[in-house]
Amino acid sequence: MPEPRDVPDEPPPFLGSWKRVYIAVLLYLGAIIFGFYVFTRAYR
Amino acid sequence: MRPFDWVVLVAALVSIVAYGLYRSRGSNTVDSYLLAGKSMPWYAMALSIMATQASAITFISTTGQAYVDGMRFVQFYFGLPVAMVILCATVVPLFHHARVYTAYEFLENRFDGKTRALASFIFLCQRGLSAGFTIYAPALVLGVILGWPERVTTSLMGAVVIAYTVLGGIKAVTWSNVQQMCVIMLGLVVALVTVVALLPHQVSFRDAAYLAGAAGRLNAVTTNFNWQDRFNIWSGLLGGTFLFLSYFGCDQSQVQRYLTGRSVAQSRLSLLFNAVVKVPMQAFILFIGAMVFVFYVFEQPPVLFQQTELKRIQTAAAYAPVASAYERAFESRRTAALALVEAHKAGDGFGEAHRIAEYRAAQKALDSVRQDAAQMVERSGGEKGFTDANYIFLSFVTRYMPAGIVGLVIAVIFAATMSASSGEINSLATVTVMDIYRRYIRRDAPDHHYLQASRLATLFWGVYAVAFAGMAGKLGPLIVAVNKVGSLFYGSLLGCFVLALGFRRVRGTAAFCGMLAGEAAILATAKWTDISWLWYNVIGCGVVVAAALALTWISPRPEGLPSRTGPGMHGPCTAPS
Repeated sequence: MPEPRDVPDEPPPFLGSWKRVYIAVLLYLGAIIFGFYVFTRAYR
Repeated sequence: MRPFDWVVLVAALVSIVAYGLYRSRGSNTVDSYLLAGKSMPWYAMALSIMATQASAITFISTTGQAYVDGMRFVQFYFGLPVAMVILCATVVPLFHHARVYTAYEFLENRFDGKTRALASFIFLCQRGLSAGFTIYAPALVLGVILGWPERVTTSLMGAVVIAYTVLGGIKAVTWSNVQQMCVIMLGLVVALVTVVALLPHQVSFRDAAYLAGAAGRLNAVTTNFNWQDRFNIWSGLLGGTFLFLSYFGCDQSQVQRYLTGRSVAQSRLSLLFNAVVKVPMQAFILFIGAMVFVFYVFEQPPVLFQQTELKRIQTAAAYAPVASAYERAFESRRTAALALVEAHKAGDGFGEAHRIAEYRAAQKALDSVRQDAAQMVERSGGEKGFTDANYIFLSFVTRYMPAGIVGLVIAVIFAATMSASSGEINSLATVTVMDIYRRYIRRDAPDHHYLQASRLATLFWGVYAVAFAGMAGKLGPLIVAVNKVGSLFYGSLLGCFVLALGFRRVRGTAAFCGMLAGEAAILATAKWTDISWLWYNVIGCGVVVAAALALTWISPRPEGLPSRTGPGMHGPCTAPS
């Protein structure tokens, strides 16, 4: 039985490198938590 | 259910299954049946990952959770984007380049056969247990709300899931998951629009949000730390990160989704899509629950949403005073809410503060009466720790939503059940065939033999899930604990993968013993402490790593390995050996 084939590694379609994409996702998480914090305070 | 609801429900389910089977043509090798020939685009994997994770009970109970406890449950997902980034940077390329069918196959490459077997066994126990509940839990709720027999609902859902999963393999699972996720999102948007439209005309959307916030239902972030508190920002960020690392990195039901990617980049994008979308999506579902809460501020809800238990306690003499107290509390809250909205609109700061106090006191009184009713259920032989949160949303849907929308929401419940269940069955079959059958029973058979074995294993796990769902009703309170039971297993699996990736000197026996020690530590924590289950993964992972490192330290060093203090000791494992 054949093993699964290896697949290519490619750069991300935006931001140039995966490291920048990861940083963008973590910044997004920070922003969304801050947004929820403000939302909670506003409606408390 | 009206005729138009049936039309919507049947049309949604038939189109999902037909489309999944249509897209699965040509799954006639093991590689295409279990890994889709590594041909999947990122968006299909992304929606499949999301659909596999979101079972029906997620939608049913998340809205109920917001109704009774507010939106703070969203913090549970704060660790997910962190976990996704870590996984994209580590295991995604590693699993792809190792050319494995399962995550546990990688463990044999890195450690030895017994570590792989133990990890596979832990997965089969944990996922096999939850497979039955995935089908049973929504059947239970649908049974109570719609009067459908549980056996009929579980058999119907099970038969459909088994049919397309056995026939089409992972391609059918993935493409039907895409459809299921679209139906789920459509259903949720329509549900929110409908609940807002059903609010009294003098209460605008902004007023509704204001009332929900004043009652503590928009508390999305809580910063106080407590070990027993499951949902605060700290348990979400730390405990949640470990939980999602375990779930997306060590659970074959998720790993198999992104192993189908046509490139490492496509797999990474599918996980990062979830990292970006999941938290807002959960917040959206919780917000629907908060709006249902506001709807019931003006429309009297039943004392309990679980009709079977409500009917049972209604016959007791002690119920009459509870019912009249409930009516008074509801009227008092309704009046206070309308007065609060007026004060808020008038911009009367002093009057607003006074009205908020009245509104909150009325809410507290109402909660107290509901608590009394829940205690009556327990005292009269009902479930210990009774809660009706799982029945709130569907009770609202069936009583107040217009024709067609009810069918759509029921289709959402079915779609979510089928998507989660098909992913589980498919992954259970893969581990059974690849990690057990092919490894220990029949090593060098031709491709078509393993293809047939995979189909049979899928059929077996499907029938098992339906049969187990049939027995789940007899297990009673266990259904409440199913999430906790699932988390009993993840920590030790995660610890093993952390050892594989981060500690090059650790060998198979140390990893194996570490996993056993981690599992023992989790079970001891669950039995003898009050620590919330979200922390079990952190504890289990920590004990696995510590125990394996200790064993490695005291055992003789094999020749050819770097010294204990050498630079390579904690370096990443660059390639499986």
